[in-house]
Order: sequence, then structure tokens, then C-alpha cells
Amino acid sequence: MPTITLNHITKIEGHAKLTLGIEENKVTVCQLGATEGARYFEGIVVGRRYNEANELTSRICGICSCAHVIAAITAIENAIGFTPSEQTIKLRELLTLAERIRSHATHLYFLALPDYLGYESAIAMAPKYKKELQRALNMMKVGNHMIKTLAARDLHPVSAAVGGWLKLPSQDDMDAMGKALDGIKKDAEDTCKLFFSLKYPDFQTEGLFFSLKSEKEYAMLSGNFCSGDRCHAPEQYMNHIAEFHQEYSNANYATEDGKRFFVGAIARLNNNSKFLSLNAQKMLKLSKIRLPSQNPFHNTHAQAVELVHSIDHALEICKTLKIKDEKIPQIPIKAGRGVGAIEVPRGTLWHEYVVDEHGVITKANIITPTAQNLYNAQEDIRCFIPGIVHKTKEQIILDVEKLIRSYDPCFSCSAHFLEVEWV
Amino acid sequence: MKALYVFGNEHLQEDAMARKVAELLRGKVNIVHCRSPDDLLEADESVIMILDVVKGAEKVMVITDVSRLKTGNMMSLHDFDLGFFLNLMQQLGQGKTIKIIGIPAEGNPERIAKEVERWL
Repeated sequence: MPTITLNHITKIEGHAKLTLGIEENKVTVCQLGATEGARYFEGIVVGRRYNEANELTSRICGICSCAHVIAAITAIENAIGFTPSEQTIKLRELLTLAERIRSHATHLYFLALPDYLGYESAIAMAPKYKKELQRALNMMKVGNHMIKTLAARDLHPVSAAVGGWLKLPSQDDMDAMGKALDGIKKDAEDTCKLFFSLKYPDFQTEGLFFSLKSEKEYAMLSGNFCSGDRCHAPEQYMNHIAEFHQEYSNANYATEDGKRFFVGAIARLNNNSKFLSLNAQKMLKLSKIRLPSQNPFHNTHAQAVELVHSIDHALEICKTLKIKDEKIPQIPIKAGRGVGAIEVPRGTLWHEYVVDEHGVITKANIITPTAQNLYNAQEDIRCFIPGIVHKTKEQIILDVEKLIRSYDPCFSCSAHFLEVEWV
Repeated sequence: MKALYVFGNEHLQEDAMARKVAELLRGKVNIVHCRSPDDLLEADESVIMILDVVKGAEKVMVITDVSRLKTGNMMSLHDFDLGFFLNLMQQLGQGKTIKIIGIPAEGNPERIAKEVERWL
């Protein structure tokens, strides 16, 4: 079979290219790369004030702009030694959950579902699956509205800041968000039932499943970076996660202590399922998957379970948090290094900054979930192909695209070049 | 007051006209600047009025048949554009009428605003 080149892999965030060579049923070439232009965000923030990183890096991507804001703020606060209030943290959790609800609902129904139902797009599905797509829009609308309420914009939020919130939601806003969340609980449960009923390829990745893990909650904004009992403190990440470059990709690849790994919803479920909400645990029991799952196709499954959990968790915050009029305090600046590791829709997101005594950023490093997953996805394709090599070229392409989409990649975020030292 | 959902990017010359025209219509309609098609999820009017630049248009036009809008396949969430979204809304039969007031990318904003006013 000749070389297959997919110049534009469809239904994923941004642009990617896969080159596959198959000879006598063996994979001779397998190169998955991001073809997005270089982004240079780490260079852009160097030389800027500590409180500008969140707003600048939110522009990395419209879809996950809240994620970059919260990761940047967390890293900067760790660098300058500031501890935010409990209310600030709860509202950051709420914003992160809102973005997760919007992102998972969109990915599940508009990018993944057409694959499993045999349609080219959601529009083609619409005449037969109105109820299902309406469900997605309901959840997206609530996520969107919550982001707008909390962050003053539905994309590229501006209210969340280093030290706290520039504008706080009112108690009425919290009640309204709670009511809206109540209204989509059934939509999320029906989403689980729908995605549990689909047939997923039986495939096991050799990669490790990493996510933040906590001893007290379904980890999201704090915790150690773990795969089972193998854990690393976030500030030590550079000692374990190594990035490397390939000439065919504008995005870096990553390994953990030399091994390939997967981040995302199924990794979170593998590591933290005992902390899922009761409703989410009930849903998980209805599914046929058994944890820990090694099947990357189950990421779709896990996103559906996380929808239920995220709505429950967000609802709990809306019902219990009594908003106090907190102003952002004067923050004494001190030089330091800080890491922000948070769980965002597509996996663990890393921001690291070094700030000098004047509050100026002197170093930045950002590793997105897609960059961490890219190497594992490429190697999964290499292992997946022999099982489907008997199929037609078109079917192979479709199956491989389905595998890549199960990772829910965002190539626009992941593209950046390595720092080069000229000698 | 009726709402007018305005799309466009003030920083791009070829996509800024709707924002300029909207400023001239302030007070006559409730201007809602949209940053993404998702903003229409919150539109609760039975007739959703949209102001946007139509590539290649030489005069103001009104489009009510959204199937005339060009839509590509859904490649990524970044392709979740106005055309895709309006087609989806129509396919889902949400009982809403869509009225797009399409304007040229170039021209005199005052003159275009006057023409748009006729369609409000």
C-alpha cells in the first residue's frame, strides 16, 4: 500500500498532518504533526508585567481561553508567593467547570458523535438527531452564560486576575447559574446513556495515563501529577516531562521520564473516579468500561461522565458559596518561579513563569495537553494500524481520524517552537 | 427596543464595516456585539436580526434563507462559524426567523447605515 498523507485531519481543533507509510502490512512511516503556524506566546510574555500573562496567554486559543487564564494566574501567584482567598479559588473552579461543560458538550456532539453515527457533520445529522443536538446546545448555552457571568466575556475572560476577581458575581448571579445548571442535569445524564450505547474499537494504548490527583477531591486546580501511584509534584515537572521537537511538526512532543503518556478525561477518571459526584458514579456504573481503562477511545466516554460530575460540582458551588465583597489586595512583589498545573478539558495544562524583583516576567514555559498527547497519539496510530490494515484506504483513514479525535486535540494551542541557543 | 446582533472585527479593515454602521444606529436598536456565533444561543427574540459584512456584496441585502449561506464541513471548533450555526438552528427548527442584513465591506458608513435602517 502506498504512503497515505492526511494533509488536513478533520474535526479536530486547529490543523494537523499525518504521514503514514505502509509496506507489506507493516507501518514504515508514522508522523503526526501540528501544522499550525508557530505561536511564540512564551516569547511574547517575557518582558511584560506579572499581571499581564493571563490576558496575553488567553489568546492562545478561543476554545480554552479560560484554562490559560487560570493556569497563568496560578503560576504567577506561586511565583510571587501570593495565596488567594477561598472565595477566589471557588470562583476559579466554577469558571473552569463552565468551560469544561461547554467544551465537552461541543466536542462530544459536534466532533465525535458524527463519527460514530456515520455522518460527515452535525448538520447532516440534524434532521434525524434533533433532540440530541438540542441537548448539546442547551449545555453549551449554560456553559457560555456562566463564563460570561463570571468572566465578563464568553471568550478571553477579563475578570479573573492575579490576586482575585476584578468583578464579582452577585448572589443573584450565583442563584441564576445554579438554576440553569439544574436545568441541564438530565441532558448530561442522557449524554452518558447515548455515548455508552456506541460501539468503540477495542484498542489498548501502551502510554501511561497522567492527570492531577488529590487525596480529597476530583482534582482540577491543584494536586500532584500522577499515573496511579507514580506521582510528581507540579513544581518538579521539568525533571520528569521532557519536550522534544520533530522537523515535521510545529508542536513539541513530550515524554514522562522517557515514556509516552496520555492526559485528558479518561486519565482523570482512571486516577480520581472515587471522587466523582454520586450522580457521575451512578452513570459510570451504567457504562461497560472498567477502570483503569487503557483505551484512548474511552476518552469520549469519560467526557460524558465528566459532564455529569462538572454540573454537580458547579451546582454545589453555586448553592453553597456566599459571595463576599472582596477586593484584590495590594500584592508585594518578590522574585520567584511558579508553576501552574490545572486540569482543563483536554488534559493537564502547564504554565511556568519566572518573575524578577520588579514583577517583570523573565522566563515562560507553557505545555498544553495536546503537546503532551501528540507523541502518544502518533505511537498509538503506529500500533493501531496493523489491526485495521486489511481495510480499504478510506476506512483506514476514517478509523485513524476517529482515534486522533478521541484525544480531543487542539493543535492551535500546541504549536510553538523550541528555544534555540545559537553557538 | 429591537436587538441587532452585530458580527465583525474592528481590527480588520475587510470585516469592520458592521461595527462602524452599528455605532451609527445606536439608540435606534439595541446593539449586541457578538464575539462568536454562540452568542446567538442567548437570543430569545422570535426574529433574530443580524448585521454582518457579506464578502463581494456591493449593496445592502437581506437574507432570510440561511441555506444560501456557504458552510464548509465541521473541521474543528474553530469552524463553528455563523453559517454553520445558523444552518444548525434552522435544521433544528427552533421556530425562529433569521434575518441577516448583509452589508458591503467597503463604502460610506453613513450611507450604508441609512440603507440598513430601512430594514430594521
